[in-house]
Amino acid sequence: MTAGISGEFVAFFLLSLITLGGAVFMLSFTRVVHMVVALAFSFLGLAGLYVMLEAEFVAFSQVLIYAGAVSILMLFGIMLTRHDVDEEEQDRRRRHRTFAFVAVLALFVALFKGIVALVPAGEGKLAEANTLEIGKALFTKYVIPFELVSVLLLVALVGAIVLARKEGHDA
Amino acid sequence: MDEAVKNVLDWNWGAMAPELVILGAATLMTILDLLLPAGRDRRPLAWLGLAGILVAAFLVWRNVQAEPTHILYDMYRVDDFANAFKLVFLAGAAFALLLAVADVGPGGEASSGEKAIRDRGEYFYLLLTGLLGAMMLASAADLIVLFVGLEVLALSSYILVALRRQYLPAVEGAFKYVVNGGIASAITLYGMSFLYGLTGSTNLLAVGEGLRDAYVSGNAYLVYVAFFFLVVGVAFKIAAAPFHMWAPDVYQGAPTPVTAFLAVVSKAAGFALLLRLLLTAFLGLANPLDGSPLLFSELNVYVGAVAAASMIIGNTVALRQTNVKRMMAYSSIAHAGYLLVPFASLTTMVFSQMMFYLVAYLFMTMGAFAVIQLVARDRGSEDLRAFAGLFRRSPLLALAMTLFLLSLAGLPLTAGFIGKFYLFLSAVGREMYALAAIMVLTSVVSFVYYFAVIRQMFLRTGEEGDPGVRVPPTVGTVIALSAAATVLLGLLPDPALDLLAHTFNFSEMFLPLAE
Repeated sequence: MTAGISGEFVAFFLLSLITLGGAVFMLSFTRVVHMVVALAFSFLGLAGLYVMLEAEFVAFSQVLIYAGAVSILMLFGIMLTRHDVDEEEQDRRRRHRTFAFVAVLALFVALFKGIVALVPAGEGKLAEANTLEIGKALFTKYVIPFELVSVLLLVALVGAIVLARKEGHDA
Repeated sequence: MDEAVKNVLDWNWGAMAPELVILGAATLMTILDLLLPAGRDRRPLAWLGLAGILVAAFLVWRNVQAEPTHILYDMYRVDDFANAFKLVFLAGAAFALLLAVADVGPGGEASSGEKAIRDRGEYFYLLLTGLLGAMMLASAADLIVLFVGLEVLALSSYILVALRRQYLPAVEGAFKYVVNGGIASAITLYGMSFLYGLTGSTNLLAVGEGLRDAYVSGNAYLVYVAFFFLVVGVAFKIAAAPFHMWAPDVYQGAPTPVTAFLAVVSKAAGFALLLRLLLTAFLGLANPLDGSPLLFSELNVYVGAVAAASMIIGNTVALRQTNVKRMMAYSSIAHAGYLLVPFASLTTMVFSQMMFYLVAYLFMTMGAFAVIQLVARDRGSEDLRAFAGLFRRSPLLALAMTLFLLSLAGLPLTAGFIGKFYLFLSAVGREMYALAAIMVLTSVVSFVYYFAVIRQMFLRTGEEGDPGVRVPPTVGTVIALSAAATVLLGLLPDPALDLLAHTFNFSEMFLPLAE
């Protein structure tokens, strides 16, 4: 990272800040609505990072699905359910937090050590027209996992109905 | 574009017939479930599922005889490693299905009351989709298929655990399972992302070669990082300590047939993932100084530590349990530890040792849960005391349970003993005496809690004049088959060991297949 301050670097810095900031705020907020909004920022920051990596398709899916659909779904979930903020158990939570912080810090140090020491294997070629390429790969080489995902979605759909349906009178 | 489509259809899709049969059966059951009127008995659907499982088992057996093959560059791979695991999954799912039929049948635990299951069609076909996920996972030699298969299995299991919606422990168990399972999936995926990042491929054989390059070209540290994430993720899946905390609550809350499914099929799938992923990806790594493979000399120590922790924690905490299903959960944690021993000692026999113990574990666990299901519904309690005086009430049932418990404890003349003996030999053979000692000592500890159940059955008297426990034919079949297999594998293990050594060629797993 010896490059000067280029536009790309500034963009990367800002987007990372939005992504990480959103994630951190999501954890530290206590109200669910605030959490969802913070999370949406994190999603959008990630989408920006994908654009910088020239992965347009992933970036747009990220905006559509995560920043759009998932956030809206969560907001609906909040509207339709009760969500009382539990202010008790502060003491226990604090000790818990200290422990979690130490553990996460250790993990971070371990991973950071690896990432800093990474020996890159040379620059990879970023695919051009990658939406087209993804489409081709999805329906030829990766057709098996693609079809299997449809089973996964079917299971999820069935599960959602089974779990969320109101009890009938047939008991 | 035409050419590419033709290429897809040119592959030998017939090799995938077992999965397609299961998928077809599950789909048919879903549609029939929709068409049947609301009040209609859903149990015929289970027979349809069972028929599908039997056909699929036959097709898998045909694949065992055939040459190994693959579809779409190892996306799906039929080798004897996959076939052997698939047979275990199919047997486990068939038994779970039989138990589930009795569970919702007349007088069954889930037929009425707070433990009632209203979505009975789903009860049956989610077992099949779970099975499908496990089978795809066993056959996958690609990170993406591996992960999607794992998720199909996991998602089906979450819903199966939550089916008893009015029963509070079930809701608690299902919630813990979703949260823990989600974390485990995230950790596994993170580990896989390191594999992809270091090698640029999702194909496991290519990953194996790429990792070797990455290891010698200065990225050894990240190779270790990937290994640790993957081991942690898989340890969640097989409920090995210290990532076992979800198991007792989930096993207690789930309907007993689902508990049996989780203990056998889900756990076996975890081991299939462990072997396929870690062996193909990491076996090629060698220490640059003396050329010894890393999996033998360094990495196996960590797996050994997980195995030891599982055996110790599982067997000691089980001592304090009064709920039989919780006790069985800790027992299954301990068994995950035993099953990790051959992976830690890693000889060329690892497949046959692990497979023999998995088969033995399949029968003794299924049998034990079948008896637990009957006793729990007869007494309306899953407490240890529900077993009091079982020998007087239903002598045959008590004898069968005794057999399963003795086998789980690993006493001679049972399948569990032979299996454990081979695991023990593998540890001693590699001079891992500490692991072998822990295995023997914790097995002795396990006698205490298994015998607590046996003592209840034989020495305690229940209430006088109790009628015997009614045994529905489906559960009776499971118990009879399991008991027969447990005795047979214990007395005459040679045919089964021959089969594992000669018919199943496990080294096919590492074979690059021509197009």
